[in-house]
Amino acid sequence: MHRNPSNSYLGLEVASAFFKPIQQTAPPSPTKRHTKITVIGTGNVGMAIAQTIITQDLVDELALVDVNADKLRGEMLDLQHAAAFLPRTKIVASVDYSITAGSDLCIVTAGARQIADESRLNLLHRNVSLFSKIIPSLAKYSPDTILMIVSNPVDVLTYVSWKLSGFPSNRVIGSGTNLDSSRFRSLIADHLDVNAQDVQAYIIGEHGDSSVALWSSISVGGVPVLSFLEKQQIAYEKETLENIHQDVIHSAYEVIRLKGYTSWAIGYSVASLARTIIRDQRRVHPISVLAKGFYGMDGGEVFLSLPAQLGRGGVMGVVNVHLTEEEELKLRESANTISEYQSQLGL
Amino acid sequence: MSLGFDLTQAFFNPIQHSAPPSLTKRQTKISVIGTGNVGMAIAQTILTQDLTDELVLVDINPDRLRGEMLDLQHAAAFLPRTKIVASVDYSITADSDLCIVTAGARQITGESRLDLLHRNLKLFSNIIPSLALHSPASILMIVSNPVDILTYIAWKLSGFPSNRVIGSGTNLDSSRFRSLIADHLDVNAQDVQAYIVGEHGDSSVALWSSITIGGLSLLTLLEKKDIAYEKETLEEIHRAVKESAYEVIRLKGYTSWAIGYSVANLARTILRDQRRIHPVSVLAKGFYGIEGGEVFLSLPAQLGRGGVLGVTNVQLTEEEAQRLHDSAKTILEVQSQLGI
Repeated sequence: MHRNPSNSYLGLEVASAFFKPIQQTAPPSPTKRHTKITVIGTGNVGMAIAQTIITQDLVDELALVDVNADKLRGEMLDLQHAAAFLPRTKIVASVDYSITAGSDLCIVTAGARQIADESRLNLLHRNVSLFSKIIPSLAKYSPDTILMIVSNPVDVLTYVSWKLSGFPSNRVIGSGTNLDSSRFRSLIADHLDVNAQDVQAYIIGEHGDSSVALWSSISVGGVPVLSFLEKQQIAYEKETLENIHQDVIHSAYEVIRLKGYTSWAIGYSVASLARTIIRDQRRVHPISVLAKGFYGMDGGEVFLSLPAQLGRGGVMGVVNVHLTEEEELKLRESANTISEYQSQLGL
Repeated sequence: MSLGFDLTQAFFNPIQHSAPPSLTKRQTKISVIGTGNVGMAIAQTILTQDLTDELVLVDINPDRLRGEMLDLQHAAAFLPRTKIVASVDYSITADSDLCIVTAGARQITGESRLDLLHRNLKLFSNIIPSLALHSPASILMIVSNPVDILTYIAWKLSGFPSNRVIGSGTNLDSSRFRSLIADHLDVNAQDVQAYIVGEHGDSSVALWSSITIGGLSLLTLLEKKDIAYEKETLEEIHRAVKESAYEVIRLKGYTSWAIGYSVANLARTILRDQRRIHPVSVLAKGFYGIEGGEVFLSLPAQLGRGGVLGVTNVQLTEEEAQRLHDSAKTILEVQSQLGI
């Protein structure tokens, strides 16, 4: 909230009546630029992300952009009205992209909502044309920013954003399978009665039906699960594992069927990524990155989720996780699935 | 949803000489009734701020209810371990420390809060007795509008002592008020002490005479420094606060985030026994000369684990006291038409 001169009820002299400056001061020096995050799209996903970021006190300034001016202003006011309950954060909004200038991170959620049972890839054509307007504007106003794409189908749209922005690939990522992996870890944690944060488990590849569960590298409290089972001679069936993976793939569809959309979980997921980036945490997250050159994926330029170390400058590198032959094969198939759709775009 | 094998025992070895877990102090449990925009904003903020061990959601629409529960559960890996459950059946709310009621019709643009009343009264006759039955020691917090009357109704229907039934009242109005003042003075809203009391609605009362910033009284300072201010200017700020909810409703269809933070803030004070003062809707009979009838309206009240500890003895000017009585009358008139 910044002062609106036309509403200056109390007048500036009141402020100066309250506070006396100390001796021998100078005007405030320009300190290190404050952190700024922009969220494009103030639908359910965008607002869940924005609100979680604010609640977790991750930024000094939050900018919201949408095409619907009324909704945009309403959402901005609703957040501003909570000012007394929050750390002092500047919250601004505009249909004009100039308001995004100087962002450290731009999060794009704009796009058509995924309808129940609509595969993420069917959304594609609706969203590509939208991005041709959004991405160049963001790149223009924040040439040093990190771009994070959330809109679905996220892998293809992250590729599209990379091309449209002209940014180096380490500064363009997609939220990818960060949430899928989190759901996966929660399911496993639930069964073992442990905290989900003690479970290391990745789902990678396409954020969609062809995602790949890396069973061979799941560990709990540092103990690798599958090899442990074998050592203890505890029998398990492949189908059981597949069922858990299918549960994860379908969980988003289930929520959409029940409440019309998903919002809270993706809000926490993206805020978690935002924290790692803005606070230079150098944590590993499974997110959509340029996968060319990894795990034998040399076919074309495709973005898909791999466990990547993230920091202030974006993607620092991809973790050298050991995949079984089968996992590698599935990953390459996932890459092919995405490449096929991309080729139809003619970018 | 089964792994088909029991791994837990294989993963962990118990330590020697241990006994089964002793019954530790009961976990904190919050129930939120109503999974609309307000209820979910409250639930999600409570979750993000890690205020409770167990969160319960209740609604009449089982699909949406289940969808909302799953959407929160799916974030488990990003949150401290919290048990999140949901049901259309009130038995799930048993032994709650705090029950937050948001159920009710949504306020339509231009509709005064009092117009909502009849729609919500009937709903509460189903909700409140069920909550009281399953959590006889709980604190009841009412958010649904018109909050003052519905808090009175909830008090009557629950049979609870008055210190355990409160309404979210003017907690948010006061917060908006403080933010507007803070904005003009370029200070942090948390350094501004300012209350709006009375009805959470058009007849609310701004307590200008007790506004302090960094401990300094605003009005006294203005007079001392001979800074002219007009009463109208002050009224405009108050009106801006009253209009702000209507403006958000007009623009986005409803309000959610701000009330979410406001109620989570109250929940924290109660569950963590913070003993902070909040302007919330309490039984006002006997305070500031309000003797006419049993009415709930917002007064600055100290809150803690047991609910309302007491009402602050704020000095009111004659005019402020008069407006407060008028506000009480406004509410009592409507209450009398209900025939409770």
